[in-house]
Amino acid sequence: METKQYSVKVFEATIADESEFIAFFDKNYLFFQHHLISIHGVVNAAIENYLKNKNLKYITNVELPKTKNRQNVEKEFEEKKELAKETAPEPQEVVEKIQDNLKVIDTLVRSGQELKIAGDLLLLNRVNSGGSVNIEGNLIITQLVEGSIRCNGNFMMIKASPKANIVFHDVEVDNAYLKERLNRVELKNNKIIITPVLKETSWE
Amino acid sequence: MISGKGGVGKTTTTANIGLGVALNEKKCVVVDFDIGQRNLDMILGLENRVVFDVVQVMDEEVGLKQALIKSKMSPNLFFLAASQTKDKSVLDSKKILKLVTTLSEEFDFVILDAPAGIESGYEHTIEFADRAIVVVNPEVSSIRDADRAIGILDSKSQKVKDGGEVMKYLIINRIDPKMVQSGEMLSSEDILDILSIPLLGKIPEDRGIVDASNQGKPIILDSNSAAGRAYSRIAARICGEQVAIENVEMPENNFMQKIKEMFK
Repeated sequence: METKQYSVKVFEATIADESEFIAFFDKNYLFFQHHLISIHGVVNAAIENYLKNKNLKYITNVELPKTKNRQNVEKEFEEKKELAKETAPEPQEVVEKIQDNLKVIDTLVRSGQELKIAGDLLLLNRVNSGGSVNIEGNLIITQLVEGSIRCNGNFMMIKASPKANIVFHDVEVDNAYLKERLNRVELKNNKIIITPVLKETSWE
Repeated sequence: MISGKGGVGKTTTTANIGLGVALNEKKCVVVDFDIGQRNLDMILGLENRVVFDVVQVMDEEVGLKQALIKSKMSPNLFFLAASQTKDKSVLDSKKILKLVTTLSEEFDFVILDAPAGIESGYEHTIEFADRAIVVVNPEVSSIRDADRAIGILDSKSQKVKDGGEVMKYLIINRIDPKMVQSGEMLSSEDILDILSIPLLGKIPEDRGIVDASNQGKPIILDSNSAAGRAYSRIAARICGEQVAIENVEMPENNFMQKIKEMFK
């Protein structure tokens, strides 16, 4: 058996009125010409003809599997927090803000280079001696750090990096506590908590 | 040819590779871009033949043909000297572009020897580079300076500004096998991890290099020298031959040592 996996962009639409539907697609054709159209409702002959002429691929009345999007995750998060507030006698006030401006960078930060980012950063390469990373949001670096890190986010995750200079919320982090393959550094009640992440990633 | 830090053997490497490439039947010109501190002429044994320099060529005071010095060691090797009286402030982008364009039309390889440091002289040398060879010593300060020089190359060269990439190749110079084995020197693997550029070759520490430089006879001409042979292999690689990377970290008399140890 031969199988293939694709990622496709899907545009979902519900037909209420035939002319409105066609007018909408005419207007936005440029956006949707490479999308798969998922239509709910009745596709009549006119619409079928229109889609065929425009060479738009479509499926009808299919419930697509959906992954959790950011809004849902945030909503869930808020709900859980509300729940925790109600149940806990003394709710801990930690202002949590999910920044939705995550940057992913896979080039290495060389000596003399500085990465300055207002949001979150996932860095998939090294920070060399003399290089610096300055982040207002959350930070994950998957490779060795030998330069300097400034992070003011809720947390950062960093490999054991004996030569790095790491400052988290204006407090210098002692490298001796960063022992594991990945360590989570957080600020809780004005205390810096470092938790080793011991679990190996596995793909099953 | 860049290094960031001075004294790592950049000029020696330029001379040897230039000659090595020429000995492989490729027409090659080496240009000393260390304006105000010329050295390459001595290492190539051409110091008493320098009449005109590269700055005079760029200022169109003399023709290129007049200033090019043909080496006696290979008919394919030519040399353009740096000015010893002027300083790097005389360099001008337009003039450099004109010079390197003219040279690349006539030669298979145009090698510019960059000055140490990362100032304007360095930036001008790398401005129109197609490729860069990075020379380092296996020690942390050399690696960090090279890292910085690569960073500047990656942001300030014309090719990068046009959306391309300048390919970089690494030469690790002055490897002392004993010090690497005892862990005092950085291993090649560590250096490659830090700099993340492909390895072009490894040169072992060789006492003969000082003498070769003093005499103006590049060590590549001495086939008894380990460093000379390493330069030959690098030159062959540059000319497109597939030559395996040698393991210079292991002493060459390793086999004999093992036998000796057996009888201890």
